[in-house]
Amino acid sequence: METPQNMISSSPGRIYLRPMILSDVDDYMVWATDSKVARFCTWEPCTSRDEAIKYITDKVLTHPWLRAICLEDDRPIGYILIMPVDDIRKEIGYVLARKYWGKGFATEAVRLVTAEIFKEMPEIERLEALVDVENVGSQRVLEKVGFTREGLMRKFICIKGSVRDTVMFSFLPSDILK
Amino acid sequence: MEIDSCTIIKSEKPQTSVSSSPPEKVHLRPMTISDVDDFMVWATDTDVTRYCTWEPYTSREAGIAFINDVVLPHPWLRAICLENDRPIGSISVTPVDKIRGEIGYVIGSKYWGKGIATEAVRLVAAEIFKEKPEMERLEALVDVDNVGSQKVLEKVGFKREGVMRKFMCLKGNVRDMVMFSLLPSDSSH
Repeated sequence: METPQNMISSSPGRIYLRPMILSDVDDYMVWATDSKVARFCTWEPCTSRDEAIKYITDKVLTHPWLRAICLEDDRPIGYILIMPVDDIRKEIGYVLARKYWGKGFATEAVRLVTAEIFKEMPEIERLEALVDVENVGSQRVLEKVGFTREGLMRKFICIKGSVRDTVMFSFLPSDILK
Repeated sequence: MEIDSCTIIKSEKPQTSVSSSPPEKVHLRPMTISDVDDFMVWATDTDVTRYCTWEPYTSREAGIAFINDVVLPHPWLRAICLENDRPIGSISVTPVDKIRGEIGYVIGSKYWGKGIATEAVRLVAAEIFKEKPEMERLEALVDVDNVGSQKVLEKVGFKREGVMRKFMCLKGNVRDMVMFSLLPSDSSH
């Protein structure tokens, strides 16, 4: 691997993670314009290539920890990111183009990140994920990787004007990856 | 089941004080600087501060500073008083964001085990959603070892949602915390 910190791959190597770049914009638009993908996200679907370029420049490239999820051809099919919550907690988030749902790619991406992130960020005591109560697919991803489902937080987050019930998951450095 | 009864008394001060019937005659009112000596009774007590993020207070000056800097500007904080109107603790609702508020309370250890905290929380739960109609969720985070405080919330009707592991740093230790919530649509009892 040329850049060990920035590129993570899985075995048998179906997907790998790398930083996103501006020239990923057209692949980015495949999922970013899809309202079914955006359904449980805080953002509205993207409506133009210019909007996508601006978003990638302002939000994606500046993000403290964000990786494109790529297949063998190096083209992104989604991304995965880690957001700081406070000094000891980080939150994981991920999005995948609909064409690639149901094939285990998100699970692999989450597993890869979870396997590496605590070495990269030794200060993390807790990696958490917040999933809409209706987003069963995403809840299954986290369960398959070995996250603990801690409980249902009622009326926890406002998404696009609706107050949603949200499931809280966590993974600690001492937990076992599945 | 206890009948949830509380009478609203209009006082001279702009905010109202709220009082209740048995088991203990508890009422809530705004705190003032003149409460500092009563404040110091619970604020210096290591039993009381055990699960608080703050260390026990050691000087009256620090107590005065706390009342000036934190209590008086607080969006919603009340002294918990018994019949003689002297505070034996405090209770507050702090905004987390536009739709969530977090309740917190502290009582002098001499007054533990008498249902006072339960009554204070019950009084707040009965009024807070009317006072803050934008609040969709009132939550509480309780140390996993603080069973007494968990029981207070359960008795009032908060829902225990789960244990959040390694959720908060308390005095240098990372603690598991139990998350509770009360919604306007819940009935508190």
